Amino acid sequence: MGQITTTWNKTIKEFLRQKTVLFWTIGWPIIWVLIGSFSFTGDAPAEIVAYTRGAISISMMVFGLMTAGMANLPGNIAQDRERGLLTKVMSMPVSPWRDFSGRILALLAFSVLSAMLVIAVGFACGARFFFTGIDFMASLAFILLIFFASAGIGMLIGTFVKHVHGAIMSGVGLTVVSAALSGVMTPYAYLPSVLQNFAKIYPISSANSAITYLLVGADYAGYNPLEHASQTVLTAFIALLLFIIGLIAYSRFCWKKD
Amino acid sequence: MKFTVTHYYSILFYGREQTIQTFAVLAENVTKEYGKKEVLKKVNLKINKGEFYALMGPNGSGKTTLASILASVKSLTSGKIEIFGKKPEDAKKITGYVPQENFSSPFLTGKENLMYFAQLLGYSKREAFDIVDGLLKKVGLWEDANKRVSHYSGGMRKRLEVATILFPSLKLLILDEPTTGLDPSARRKFLGLVQELRNEETTIFLITHIGADADLASRVGLIDRGVIIAEDQPEKLKRNSGLENVVNIETSIKSDKVASLLTKFSEKMKVSETETGYRVFTEDVEKATPKIVRSLDEIGCKVIRIETAKPSLEDVFFKLTERKVSEVD
Repeated sequence: MGQITTTWNKTIKEFLRQKTVLFWTIGWPIIWVLIGSFSFTGDAPAEIVAYTRGAISISMMVFGLMTAGMANLPGNIAQDRERGLLTKVMSMPVSPWRDFSGRILALLAFSVLSAMLVIAVGFACGARFFFTGIDFMASLAFILLIFFASAGIGMLIGTFVKHVHGAIMSGVGLTVVSAALSGVMTPYAYLPSVLQNFAKIYPISSANSAITYLLVGADYAGYNPLEHASQTVLTAFIALLLFIIGLIAYSRFCWKKD
Repeated sequence: MKFTVTHYYSILFYGREQTIQTFAVLAENVTKEYGKKEVLKKVNLKINKGEFYALMGPNGSGKTTLASILASVKSLTSGKIEIFGKKPEDAKKITGYVPQENFSSPFLTGKENLMYFAQLLGYSKREAFDIVDGLLKKVGLWEDANKRVSHYSGGMRKRLEVATILFPSLKLLILDEPTTGLDPSARRKFLGLVQELRNEETTIFLITHIGADADLASRVGLIDRGVIIAEDQPEKLKRNSGLENVVNIETSIKSDKVASLLTKFSEKMKVSETETGYRVFTEDVEKATPKIVRSLDEIGCKVIRIETAKPSLEDVFFKLTERKVSEVD
């Protein structure tokens, strides 16, 4: 446990002390919650405005989770590799699994912090949600799936993109583009049919729609993502598969003795 | 089995008592290939417990690869390596490695960095606190312990990184080009610290391309193109090289004509070019010096400074390979 907690401690401090990490994971989503809450709601009835703000807050929370996993995690891995820390740690009696566990738990803590802050700002801006206890628990499960998928993609980027800036920019780019194309940052209803299909397969957008459906309603999700159990199963399967592939790539290639 | 003060142990073998020495580092026919390129060619190395061994060679000579293999960061293609009688991967608990890069986290304080490494080595938080405080004092960073490493100078950062291998459980310390990039004052302070680490229990393996750094070691190996070409105490290496005196000349210009003129005076070996001029290897300095000055003057080259010196380990390497240590292979 000592190695996991010490890696957790180091990683979380590095996340919290880097201004760019804080900006992209917490600052940027909050800015969009503020812009979205006050610019795009027009003269609609108050109830609709409140739920729209809720849907925007959820999307931005998901965007924050994506940035944490897909940009911050690979940035952290690439940083450690580029400055020789991975080499140093490999020379010590440390197992890749413990190092990995420490990193992932730190990422989880940081993602939770980001999500809570974004939702809190949403609340402060007048966002409202409507859900039962079961809806809330199911939403947490979907949030976890978003975390797994993002972390999996992040580990793949961190493993194969060698330079820090390359890894971070790849992660940010992939986050922004995939969020835009899959309906995380754009209304699902306005996507062309090919992208609507993609939005159902891409685990992050599918989970985002599910959370929106559970906490705000079908009108704001654009469709009912829970209508077919197969979509939920596929979302969970792909999210976990990405995580496992990322984990294997990280432990095999980042820790490889060449 | 019985250990003695000279680190030998005896075993009963076929009814007879034999004495077998355990080396801190034992490398036999170590070969490392990257594709078709052979970086290390059947390297043999024996380092005794408590010894300070420096491996000197130019960039690309294979010295970092050897250090990485000893630290269990890279694998070997063939051969055998033992660290205190164990495979490198089984000796990680007693091997401390400082790679070339500045690996400490700039976002953490000096103390937080050391706490991280202490706990990775298996020390409890309480134990780590006590040891880390001692190490920070030892490397002269106690007053800056709570500053973030991003505010440290290059020398301070290197001292912090050396502190990561000073935990009491570590017996073999591998330092890969630790003085690279340090200013002269920081370098001297750093080497002072390395000298203080010498004791009977700690074995130091220093990788360098700087002769003055290697001079501190009790034994030096010269490595070139993956082969250890000479190995001895620094003074013996210099004495046995046949080089007696060196004339260091700082000239107003550097050209092929100047170099070829100086070659006439360098009986012992080729003239070596330095940043500011040349090094000429001659037996009779007193006779040669005025002649050198006169000859250079005749071809319009002014001598800014001329001095005699003892040969350095770089000169020995140059004599053996006709290549400079600073050359990239």
